[in-house]
Amino acid sequence: MAEKPPLVELRGIRKSFGAVTSLSGVDLTVGAGEVLGLVGDNGAGKSTLMKILAGALQHDSGDIAVNGRTVRLSSPADARREGIGIVYQDLALCDTIDVAGNLFLGREPRKGPFIDRAAMHAESARILADLHVRVSSTRQEIGQLSGGQRQTVAIARAVSLEPDLLILDEPTAALAVAEVESVLRLIGDVASRGVGVILITHRLQDLFRVCDRITVMYEGRSVDDAPIGDLDIEKLVAMITRSDPQKEERP
Amino acid sequence: MTARTDTAAPAGSAPPRLSPAVLWQRANKSTLLMIGVIVVLFGAFGIASPTFLTFGNLSNLATQIAPAVVVGVAMTFVITSGQIDLSVGSTVAFVAATSAELLAAGLDSALVIPIGIAAGAFWGLVNGWFAAYHRIPPFVVTLATMSVIRGIALLRTEGFSVPIDNRLFLARIGDASFLGFSASAWIALVVAVAGAVLLYTTRFGQYITGIGSQEESVRRAGVNTRRVKMLALVLSGSAAGVAGLLIAARLGSGSANSAQGFELVVIAAVVLGGTDLFGGRGTIVGTLIGAVITGAIANGLTLLGMSPFLTPIVTGCVLILAIWINLRGRDMAELGARLLRRGS
Ligand SMILES: Nc1ncnc2c1ncn2[C@@H]1O[C@H](COP(=O)(O)OP(=O)(O)OP(=O)(O)O)[C@@H](O)[C@H]1O
Ligand SMILES: [Mg+2]
Repeated sequence: MAEKPPLVELRGIRKSFGAVTSLSGVDLTVGAGEVLGLVGDNGAGKSTLMKILAGALQHDSGDIAVNGRTVRLSSPADARREGIGIVYQDLALCDTIDVAGNLFLGREPRKGPFIDRAAMHAESARILADLHVRVSSTRQEIGQLSGGQRQTVAIARAVSLEPDLLILDEPTAALAVAEVESVLRLIGDVASRGVGVILITHRLQDLFRVCDRITVMYEGRSVDDAPIGDLDIEKLVAMITRSDPQKEERP
Repeated sequence: MTARTDTAAPAGSAPPRLSPAVLWQRANKSTLLMIGVIVVLFGAFGIASPTFLTFGNLSNLATQIAPAVVVGVAMTFVITSGQIDLSVGSTVAFVAATSAELLAAGLDSALVIPIGIAAGAFWGLVNGWFAAYHRIPPFVVTLATMSVIRGIALLRTEGFSVPIDNRLFLARIGDASFLGFSASAWIALVVAVAGAVLLYTTRFGQYITGIGSQEESVRRAGVNTRRVKMLALVLSGSAAGVAGLLIAARLGSGSANSAQGFELVVIAAVVLGGTDLFGGRGTIVGTLIGAVITGAIANGLTLLGMSPFLTPIVTGCVLILAIWINLRGRDMAELGARLLRRGS
């Protein structure tokens, strides 16, 4: 077990946008079946790091290894091939396309040269029912759904890709109590099947319910990494804000 | 692939039927409005001129609008993807003039027709390469190529119209008819049907719509969005090539001065039909309706003995009206920003 490489390992990831440096050296690992909580202040670079891992952005330097193999994720399609699925913070949906079209965006089932809409809608209805997502019709345009419904559709899309690593960037921001519960349950479910999960959230109490380990980012760097058992809410808040005077500052 | 969703579908998960409410919700309101406008327009012209509603004139109208329909269908893809192509009129003139020259040089129609379409596709490729791969706003790229393409045609022909021998196959297409409608009209119908199939039933059409709505979302879904955007412009270029051949065939000559302002007629037809100028929502039926409206206005005014120079004035006014209806509350500045936006 000890020799098995982690599912995903990031080392020294750096990323600048022109003069703005968003990431200045991030290390992060997540194992199969592990739920990693990624926390940090607004603007700490969490979403930027996840976009890099999803192939939507390219980093300037540093290494990404999947199952011990260094990979180049030069496009979202590359990341998908490596088994990485993501729910983006901004959801990455298309407002004028219907629910089924968004669930299958980029991988529409085909019959010859044509999209097999019947299959797409049937399969979408099944996916949504499995995840207990309520929308009135898979033919409804995404732009007409509520914020919470949109978020659950985005989650359903990522889960239905059956990824090996599931990234959730603030997946519960717009959700009601019951929906948050079902997302937390979902995280437990997929992790128990061996999927690695990275959960970004500002709802710290949720982290204690589902995470195995927490990685803290601060101003573009990963500054702390601790098993959840070693932490409580106060310690975690102190790590995020880096305000705890007794705590040793790690460069 | 370790995660799996349960395959046993619970009862009631069958795809929901299209209820009337959903149909109404999805129907393009401006397209419906424009059908009403057609009825009023045809009624008015029918009363004003006894010949307007005759079969002969309606068949003639179909021939007149054929080039605008062919290019309008392709322009629907371009505008739905959040782009614009201002160079189509110049490409029409370029292809008309060049193919007339090639025919005059003795080349067979069987070669000139594919060459004409390929020339249109080439100009579309140039537009698409700059717009999609070099992130120059398509408004700017096609404004420039609009000048370049017509300029080359003018330079070659020195502005003279090149006659086409009426015994040649291409010229005979211009005269051919079937069931009372010209070959041009039938070709336009085929293009419209093919366009609707492409837009509504293929991945390409889906990505065109998605890109016009949120390009970055489509890109993150693993789609090569640049290629899709470039192909949209290749489509409009190729359609302009077809229209150039149709116009040369009908007139029996090719001129670098033809199709002045054609891009405005086409864009007016597309926007009038209800395709969203901001992208993300396109309708081929609407474009067909829009082309009928702009064509009927030109045709009707001529029948009423008005000066032909009135047509561009009316077309321009219709375009403004169409954009005004299309914007429905959103403002012009937003549209300008969108058209001049760089690719993300
Ligand atoms: N495309 C971009 N161009 C310029 N700067 C960017 C870009 N994307 C992100 N940044 C900058 O990178 C930094 C990190 O942003 P990021 O979105 O990754 O933060 P975050 O940790 O996800 O914050 P939040 O909790 O608010 O979601 C910010 O300072 C942001 O301004
Ligand atoms: Mg973020």
